[in-house]
Amino acid sequence: MGQAISKASLTEDQRDCYQEITNVAMGQAADRLARLLKAYVILPIPKVNLISASELHMALEDTSSNDDVSAVCQGFIGSGIAGEALLVFNDASFADLAQLMKYKGPLDQHAELELLMDVSSVLIGACIQGIGEQLEISFNQGHPVVLGQHCHVDDLVKSGNHQWSQTLAIEIHYQIENLNINCDLLLLFTEDSVAKINQQIDYLLD
Amino acid sequence: MALPVLICDDSSFARKQMKRALPAGWDVDVTFAGNGLEGLDAIRAGKGEVVFLDLTMPELDGYGVLEQIRKEDLPAMVIVVSGDIQPDAQDRVQKLGAMAFIKKPIDQAKATEVLTQFGILSEAE
Repeated sequence: MGQAISKASLTEDQRDCYQEITNVAMGQAADRLARLLKAYVILPIPKVNLISASELHMALEDTSSNDDVSAVCQGFIGSGIAGEALLVFNDASFADLAQLMKYKGPLDQHAELELLMDVSSVLIGACIQGIGEQLEISFNQGHPVVLGQHCHVDDLVKSGNHQWSQTLAIEIHYQIENLNINCDLLLLFTEDSVAKINQQIDYLLD
Repeated sequence: MALPVLICDDSSFARKQMKRALPAGWDVDVTFAGNGLEGLDAIRAGKGEVVFLDLTMPELDGYGVLEQIRKEDLPAMVIVVSGDIQPDAQDRVQKLGAMAFIKKPIDQAKATEVLTQFGILSEAE
């Protein structure tokens, strides 16, 4: 309505720097997961983009297609930068995951929840701390919240109460070698944080 | 004569970080490559007697580069510099003939330590 919308932006150098920093952080997270599961984690090249809320929907759709998923989210905040980590698990992963974790007993909803929380605390924690260390920001993490079990990606997006119109999104797809274990970790920084975090990036690029 | 050193990484930020981490006063001639194929070309052209090699790269990854170096018996001392620090990754690259493995993010102290350990730096000093 005649009001200028301030759009955050990202240069190619900044995107490259985010990618490299994520690369290092997700490597640290993968190392911890690999040691926990005694398996090799395949590391992709992370995707870094400024996206709108509707595009987030598409990013999630893209990652998990039509399969049922379970998801956890966890907020983080520090030095004027805030965001949330969203870990989306393909439900087909739980059988192999239970086996690797030597989980005894029936694989019911409760057991799956336990596995989901174990893996998410390793992946989210290590990734956030890894990024924080490189940017010299100490992030405090909130409590993990289960967004849903055995649901469709649509439901996840609906349940999220997103206040922003645009977000810096970092997408990481983790896969375990030779097994059917797939998950996506999304790091979403709030719109207000983007300028601040870009400053830290520029400092590194200088 | 300056030692030909190749820095092979798909991230321009990582290449810059690597170049900054080279020991001060080390007499080198640095070449950059943005993926494994470019890296191999540079090594074949004699521009990589010492190679700092990333693992996760498009076109051809670091594992592929190591395999090809071995296949063609290219004269390159490869130091893998990677964010993939899983024990398996380190094992695999050493089996493929990498001389050393350095965790990212790299700094000058780590680079100097490895170069000295393998006697690459002592000649220059």
